[in-house]
Amino acid sequence: MVTSVEAEVSTNADTSAPGDSTERRPAPRYSLVVVAIALVVGLLAGYAGGWITPTLTRPGEGSPEVGFARDMSAHHAQAVEMGLIAFRNATDPDTQQIGIDIAAAQQGEIGTMQTWLRFWGVDTSGPQAPMAWMPDGAEAMRDRGNLMPGMATPEQMAALRAATGIQVDLLFIQLMRDHHLGGIHMADAIIDMTDDPEVIKVATTMKNTQQTEIANFNTLEKRLTS
Amino acid sequence: MSISTPGGNQRRPSVVSTGKKAPASKATADGKPATDDKSAASGGKTGTTTKTGPKTGAGRPGGGGKGGKGRKPIAPVKVSQGRAWGPIAMFVAVGVLAAGIIGYGAWAAFQGSKPWEERAADIPGITNFRESDPELVAGSQHTPEPVQYTVLPPVAGPHNASWQNCSGDVYDAPIANEHAVHSLEHGAIWITYRPDLPQDQVARLAERVQGTDKTFMSPFEGLDQPISLQAWGYQLKVDDAGDSRIDDFIGALRINASIEGPTALCAQGITATGNAPRNLGGGQ
Repeated sequence: MVTSVEAEVSTNADTSAPGDSTERRPAPRYSLVVVAIALVVGLLAGYAGGWITPTLTRPGEGSPEVGFARDMSAHHAQAVEMGLIAFRNATDPDTQQIGIDIAAAQQGEIGTMQTWLRFWGVDTSGPQAPMAWMPDGAEAMRDRGNLMPGMATPEQMAALRAATGIQVDLLFIQLMRDHHLGGIHMADAIIDMTDDPEVIKVATTMKNTQQTEIANFNTLEKRLTS
Repeated sequence: MSISTPGGNQRRPSVVSTGKKAPASKATADGKPATDDKSAASGGKTGTTTKTGPKTGAGRPGGGGKGGKGRKPIAPVKVSQGRAWGPIAMFVAVGVLAAGIIGYGAWAAFQGSKPWEERAADIPGITNFRESDPELVAGSQHTPEPVQYTVLPPVAGPHNASWQNCSGDVYDAPIANEHAVHSLEHGAIWITYRPDLPQDQVARLAERVQGTDKTFMSPFEGLDQPISLQAWGYQLKVDDAGDSRIDDFIGALRINASIEGPTALCAQGITATGNAPRNLGGGQ
């Protein structure tokens, strides 16, 4: 900045006419109209830039954020079902309470992630295989019959639906604990991979909540089996 | 740019110079008041009959940078005619008003766009336990036992597996801290008040709570101020139900303060009052 100003000053000194100082050159005057037009054009350019930038920088097809939002929605959906089964069929009120708590909270998070996908202008499902966004995603699914980490198998879900009495509580705790461990694994991955503050915030909340709930599962399980 | 002006006195206002001394009577020759603009506009064209030289970087007349030495100061054109002050005053007033409105709107938008943490921190008198005691507000284990909370009314910590119903519930008797803290974890605002708070003030508080999910209120024994508001990790004590900070507190922290996500339930909770936590599951 400073150097350019100095350069301009010296240029002015060089090109200014010496000698007859009474002879005056007219200063070219930029009319108000030109200034106004320049101002308007500048404002419009800035506005357009501000308008287009989010579109160009939002996560797109193939990004880890989109993969996470799609896969975690599917992952969460199973937890909602497990939680509602516990709320309805579990024997212990604490199990019922934690079941409905998880169902409501994770259904809400599904809503959040579906809204992201809509705002990012991508479909709610895509061409990628589940977990393709995660570095070790394919590995995590290989020996699980194409199920994401922590997901219960169809047989396990059938057993949970058919269970009665205290078996509902114990099976729910066992399945949901595994489910949470897989969810935390996925949340950790996206927290590492993204720099989107909203995604980081929501994934961090998921991770913290599920870790706390695992501790509460253990306490509850101890009480129910003692 | 004019930033390169060395002397600082090179920039002349564009409204005074006609290049020659114009007689003051000229302005009123045809009975119309000549505005500065007109004379300035004509000055640019008719005032100089010399050749136009090459444009310098700053487009200033020759001799620039020499402090205007050797040049006679040019007397400004005097306009003897009185101005029409009315319209001018009106336009100035409208302009000032418009600038004020736009400025306030921009300021309000900026304030409103602040993250909720900042808006909470801006509330005078608020206590932020997330800063002073991160340990307390981090995690939250369920326990069937009664809990001795160090901060009263409590703002965080271990709590009962069941939350207190917080869908705009107005409790008329004290409730168990162990349930209320679980509600705070879900993002609810808990308004507590001294049992001797006048009835009209209690009613003012109830107006804010009734029908508003993620809020609840109850009397609380032993408060050092008439009213105390709690969110997870935050507390604000006020003397009067009309205090505007109550709305600021609710606005910044309701749901936002949840550490379990924005849709953690307030329904399906404990609706009974009484200081002892209820272990529905028989955990003793």
